[in-house]
Amino acid sequence: MSEIKGKVLKHSGQTRTMHWLHLLTFTVLTVTGIGFYFHLDFISNIFGGAASASVVHRWAGVLFTIGPTLYILANFERFSRFVDTITTFTGDDFNWLKTMGGYIPFLKGEVPPQDKYNAGQKLLGLLIIFGCLLVIITGFPMWLLRHDVAPAFLAFCYTIHLWTAVILVLAIGGHFFLAAIHPKSRVEFWSMMVDGYVDAEVTAHHNAKWFSQLKSM
Amino acid sequence: MKIYVEKAAFTRRQFFKGAGVLLISAVITGVLSKIGLDALAISDDYVEKRAAGLYQLDESMTIRRSHENPEILRLYQDFLSPGQVSPLSEKSEHLLHTRYGKDIPHLIEEMKKSEAAA
Repeated sequence: MSEIKGKVLKHSGQTRTMHWLHLLTFTVLTVTGIGFYFHLDFISNIFGGAASASVVHRWAGVLFTIGPTLYILANFERFSRFVDTITTFTGDDFNWLKTMGGYIPFLKGEVPPQDKYNAGQKLLGLLIIFGCLLVIITGFPMWLLRHDVAPAFLAFCYTIHLWTAVILVLAIGGHFFLAAIHPKSRVEFWSMMVDGYVDAEVTAHHNAKWFSQLKSM
Repeated sequence: MKIYVEKAAFTRRQFFKGAGVLLISAVITGVLSKIGLDALAISDDYVEKRAAGLYQLDESMTIRRSHENPEILRLYQDFLSPGQVSPLSEKSEHLLHTRYGKDIPHLIEEMKKSEAAA
């Protein structure tokens, strides 16, 4: 039995709400987007046909944009702390990447202590920020300016939108597997999706550097 | 039960990093907008030049209206509607109106019948 007792508040209520909103809208955007790209009528029909699926995709995109925008405006301090964490890479982060945090069976080695987010989560955070930005700023011209902008520019937007979405879907797929299914890391699932708390013992193990800071406060 | 909560002060470094990400986002959006506006300007310029060229060609023509073309008028008077200019005459409609798509097989049948009758 561990000596470390208690809970750590890792994700605030607003963060969890924003995460839920982004999860739901991203799912709808992905499903409808796959339906459009591969011309899968059975997907579009779930939303009432191709035209309705297109409307759903666009308005889900609006929520996908408004959610994090409001969150950042209302929680600039929290957002800045998050950005500071995910853009700070030390030797421990690079060593974490060498061993992939112990998640890959054939990559042996000691997993170094991590911040509030491990090196993989940091890379995912950066990918999500700039990936979402790209799909948002290419998506709106495809909707609102399609009759006004040059066709070559529209084609450019479609290409960027598609490939950024493909990369995001693959990255979020990995994120879902590690956060909700993998037995080593799914302890975080309840924290982000429900109450925001993680066992102090788990935090001391997975985020040792951050936990030592919390203890010293 | 002990609850651990983040209480560290908001540092200048964190502020600049947060603001920096927003600034980079604004710059990326601006660059994409610039690409879009430049592409639109090039497209508009092409359309303007093309339209100007068409107008110039039209203005340089001696005969600019088909219904005032003496050759067309003579064609109607001599052949399509003998003795008058009647664009909707039966012969002109039969010979000049185009059929396409699903009407083609029907047109071929008509032509075969008229050939047989002749």
